[in-house]
Amino acid sequence: MSNFTSLTNLGQNTNPNKSYEVPQPPTDSVSSLHFSPKANHLIATSWDNQVRCWEIMQSGTNIHSAPKAAISHDQPVLCSAWKDDGTTVFSGGCDKQVKMWPLLSGGQPVTVAMHDAPIKDMAWIPEMNVLVTGSWDKTLRYWDLRQQNPVHTQQLPERCFSLTVRHPLMVVGTADRNIVVFNLQNPQAEFKRIMSPLKYQTRCLAAFPDKQGFLIGSIEGRVGVHHLDDAQQTKNFTFKCHRDNNDIYSVNSLNFHPAHGTFATAGSDGAFNFWDKDSKQRLKAMSRCNQPISCSAFNNDGSIFAYSSCYDWSKGAENHNPATAKSYIFLHLPQEAEVKGKPRVGNTNRR
Amino acid sequence: MGKKKKRPVEKVFCYYCDREFDDEKILLQHQKAKHFKCHVCNKKLSTASGMVIHVLQVHKENVTKVPNAKPEREATDIDIYGMQGIPPDVLAAHYGEQEEDTPSKSAKVDVPGTNIVGGMMPGGFAPPGTYGVMQRPMYNPAVPGPHGWQVPRPPAWYPPPPGMSMPPAVSAPQAASVPPQQPLFPVQSIAPPLSSAVAPVSQPPYPPGVHSSPAPIPVSQPLFPVGAAATMANQIMPAGILPDMKASAAAYSSVHPNMVNSYHLPNGPGAANNSHSYASGPNTGGPSIGPPPVIANKAPVNQPAGNEVYLVWEDEAMSMEERRASLPKHQVHDETSQMNSIDAAIDRRISESRLAGRMAF
Repeated sequence: MSNFTSLTNLGQNTNPNKSYEVPQPPTDSVSSLHFSPKANHLIATSWDNQVRCWEIMQSGTNIHSAPKAAISHDQPVLCSAWKDDGTTVFSGGCDKQVKMWPLLSGGQPVTVAMHDAPIKDMAWIPEMNVLVTGSWDKTLRYWDLRQQNPVHTQQLPERCFSLTVRHPLMVVGTADRNIVVFNLQNPQAEFKRIMSPLKYQTRCLAAFPDKQGFLIGSIEGRVGVHHLDDAQQTKNFTFKCHRDNNDIYSVNSLNFHPAHGTFATAGSDGAFNFWDKDSKQRLKAMSRCNQPISCSAFNNDGSIFAYSSCYDWSKGAENHNPATAKSYIFLHLPQEAEVKGKPRVGNTNRR
Repeated sequence: MGKKKKRPVEKVFCYYCDREFDDEKILLQHQKAKHFKCHVCNKKLSTASGMVIHVLQVHKENVTKVPNAKPEREATDIDIYGMQGIPPDVLAAHYGEQEEDTPSKSAKVDVPGTNIVGGMMPGGFAPPGTYGVMQRPMYNPAVPGPHGWQVPRPPAWYPPPPGMSMPPAVSAPQAASVPPQQPLFPVQSIAPPLSSAVAPVSQPPYPPGVHSSPAPIPVSQPLFPVGAAATMANQIMPAGILPDMKASAAAYSSVHPNMVNSYHLPNGPGAANNSHSYASGPNTGGPSIGPPPVIANKAPVNQPAGNEVYLVWEDEAMSMEERRASLPKHQVHDETSQMNSIDAAIDRRISESRLAGRMAF
């Protein structure tokens, strides 16, 4: 039974986990990955200004993918989201615009939202029929797609770094370790503002499937499990991950499994791991790729885990060689044992 | 069947770091892994003195402190093996503390406290009884909501807080097939604040940002109840409703004349300091237990390299993406160039014979 602090084995090759490699990957670092909620269509946004889509065909343990379509932005694309019906993709980034791409109908992309600075994260909220965008201009904006202006602009304490939505819960992480929690039944008021339970810069967030709290990952190779209810504060804990002896890498991505409620972390150390927060166990530690994992995503039923291995800028410009840098998108088919939580027997906490 | 062994009331603990364990076997494993391990070759020794001798003989280095130990317990000359060799005063102090219900450090995970800055904001949740099936929120005060669901509104005499700037909603023409929908975030007409002389005495003044609102949910009730969310029928939008890219960009440039220049990456002298503080205090989630790990980018000369950890990305002021986006090749310098790039993109797409949605790559 592995515990939360143990480290993964160091893998030196490009694809140590023998995952399926997606053909024709982006020509620069991948900034976001998202599967369609309705089908196995995978979207990737990239620092090469492109939004690409692949169709993933899966039969048993065999998997095949084919490029489907792509669109361009004028600047690097940082984030993306699918509409809940799986017909439309939203993408935004350094050009400060959100483009709506009617992918399935083959329509032209149109600009539906704008900010005063790059757009770092976004989410489609089907229960409200609005798109929410978070930017480095220190605002959240809600967009009704039939209107040219945002229906609401919410001031944030700092630049938006990450946001996660499970209606009615929305959690926004900003610079200076601020976490702003919203109840989307009253989106114009902050429900709660807290300082991050982690001591370093917030990198990624994921709301619990039961909407009772959220996961938070930081640049200090640590994940916090945080409950919102004051009565459940004793259940909060943090654990270390994505560390290699004395080197502490950033946690770049947090994804809950859609069926089992377990979650995956991916980090700048090139590893991805599966965890169960309820039993406080690591379910599976995968071998390390020789490049950071910049982002990851489960498909709609959790049978495919997509992750991108590419340079994430964690070691600065001096460690980036555009001539030799190569980005990969891999598809991993998780075994049930890797992602299914084990029943908690007694108290696993050693005192 | 044999009688179950009674576990000792007093748990064993590590002299060097005060961590508690269920039995001495685990304690010995811990000491070997954390306190008696050679920082050069990672060999696990049985005692501190054994580790010192090993490092001296094999690696020709002097070790003066036990790694990962509390500052006052770093001495290598005390021979500790599990619970053996612990000075009586330390034993007394440790178990004395235990009687006073001092929480022991958890061996596997950190359990931080929560630092709530803003506390619960007003109007956070609907009163109990309105959950069950999640209904689509209604924000128009003119339309009555479901029973018991009050839309919090500021008193007429109090202006909206600064975090709630709402641009006027510009409604697009709606197709006949789509029923008119109430705006999600209506602009509430709020009268200017009354002067303090005119304000009625019976109305208590609200502190800034606080509105009259239903009482928050009791703690025992889940904050975000899981209900079968009523999925709304997606409204079909007829073609032509959405503004094209050029019109949209033009509209925005008129609304935000200094749109492009308003954002500055925080990499100048005014950027926040890189503080890597592990000390207890505000925003650190409770008191720190034991010495903080050394976070550094260079190994200090006076310390063995084995004890330090290095943050690979250690810029607290900027995210990786901000740093990368600040490169000259990603900068849009002025509004004109941005508008030109948008125009160029439109012209390029018009001139392309194939649909953008079907581009090969």
